[in-house]
Amino acid sequence: MTPQPTLPVPDAPVLATEALVAGYERDVPIVRGVDLAVAAGECVVLLGPNGAGKSTLVRAVAGLVPILAGAVRLGGTDITTVPAHEKARYGLAFVPQTENIFARLTIHENLQIAADILPKPARSRRIAALYDMFPDLVARPSRRAGQLSGGQRQMLAVARALVAEPSVLILDEPSAGLSPKAVAELFARLNGINVAGVTTVLVEQNVKAALAVGDRAIILVEGQVCHEGPASSLADDPIVAELYLGARRARAAGR
Amino acid sequence: MIPQALIDGLIAGAVIGLGAIGVTLTYSILGFANFAHGEFISWGAYFALAVSSLLGYLFAGLATPIGPFSFGWSLPIATVAAAGLTAGLALLADLLLFGRLRARRSAVIILVIASFGAALTLRNLLEFIFTSAPAYYTRSLQIALRFGHVRATPDQLFSLAVTAVLVAALHLLLTRTAIGRAMRAVSENPALAGVTGIDVRRVMRIVWILGAGLAAVAGVVTGLLVQIRPEMGLDLLLPLFAASILGGIGSVPGAMLAGLIVGVAEALAVQWIGAQWRAAVAFVILVAILLVRPQGLFGRTE
Repeated sequence: MTPQPTLPVPDAPVLATEALVAGYERDVPIVRGVDLAVAAGECVVLLGPNGAGKSTLVRAVAGLVPILAGAVRLGGTDITTVPAHEKARYGLAFVPQTENIFARLTIHENLQIAADILPKPARSRRIAALYDMFPDLVARPSRRAGQLSGGQRQMLAVARALVAEPSVLILDEPSAGLSPKAVAELFARLNGINVAGVTTVLVEQNVKAALAVGDRAIILVEGQVCHEGPASSLADDPIVAELYLGARRARAAGR
Repeated sequence: MIPQALIDGLIAGAVIGLGAIGVTLTYSILGFANFAHGEFISWGAYFALAVSSLLGYLFAGLATPIGPFSFGWSLPIATVAAAGLTAGLALLADLLLFGRLRARRSAVIILVIASFGAALTLRNLLEFIFTSAPAYYTRSLQIALRFGHVRATPDQLFSLAVTAVLVAALHLLLTRTAIGRAMRAVSENPALAGVTGIDVRRVMRIVWILGAGLAAVAGVVTGLLVQIRPEMGLDLLLPLFAASILGGIGSVPGAMLAGLIVGVAEALAVQWIGAQWRAAVAFVILVAILLVRPQGLFGRTE
């Protein structure tokens, strides 16, 4: 029998990792002991240079990368060993960086797939709500998702993730490959989603845009948390500048 | 003669199409070419033979031919049982072999070679249990019905009708239901399907059940219209693969249409160039489609 998700414990983080070690091979961990705590309604931005383990961390939380040690908790429930498809039912939504929509299915079918885990009466109501939230998608719902532009695809991917009313939304570099206009639109939408109460974890390379929407930023280097602080103060932090210029990375990690 | 060859080809093609649907679903959703699929056809035929013989022995009335057909109620009942038993056999093969290889993240070629091994085992086991002597569901003779220049037996027409109903039902399942959407989603991107809430392993089990169930029906139809032999599935393997590739991997209507095309092409080859070339037709179609349109009739280029 599937364990029922429990409500969040007051003041407890909605999403937490405890000494999380993850990677594809046991003797080559990519994430090396990460403690993460995300409070309800918060938008946390994960930053770090290429190869820092940001994507591996969120993919491990979503159930796509093996967890080698440590724990993941969602709303106080240990979901470390819960399979990926069950995590969606616990209220975790994940938008991968690439191939994050079903290109051969229609726009409507992409939303239906996500709604199929909801009770029947709620499905069409939720899909209608998502069409209201993303009016670009409602114009031609029978269009094949593979025919959408890059920006529209990301909107569909986010819409698909939101169908099941998740408590936590994790996005892995949603701005990758998008035009500046599409990035601006996407981040405005993500900000609105977070303001509406969905706890958000955002992995990004687009530091400026991410820090503008995030409440707090965590910087990963070589699979470990190197620095963290309020997003507003990190925007001008020299550590962030150094990491993304690729200079003196080792020294920055040691601070 | 040509219209008769066409009708004979359509009947043979219906069997190829039913089998090719299983091959195409396995290929697109489980990710490998299952060379043991032909054995599900043979096992389905023999399961039905065993069950219908038992039913005929226990309830003699069930063996009495229904109306114009050569078989009694024992055969349709046995076909349903055979579809279930063959599905069970496929799930067992997945549990003991293919599932274990997937869990170890084995390369596709290992799964393909494993399917060759499974095919050999299943075929020889069948021959061991039932011997290699041909068997028949019924020995009743049928008078063919005449439609202008063509003739077809009631059994042949019944088999075509059953195939059409099954293919239409499967097409509706894939395009109109939640499980159909889930199957198409897993076929395209299993990881994304998983994080979207789809139980990928459940979908894979359903693919085995559907593919093996349809293979069993194909086996019963072949057994009813021709004869039952342990090699019947092996003989169909090349046409099955030709049809699934010609139709476009993953396309159920494509596999069915391509099955009919392969069946008709084989029948016309018998008519025009001689029966000894029948088996070569599927091979020629397979090579031609791989050279000219590798994505098949209904396949999409990625």
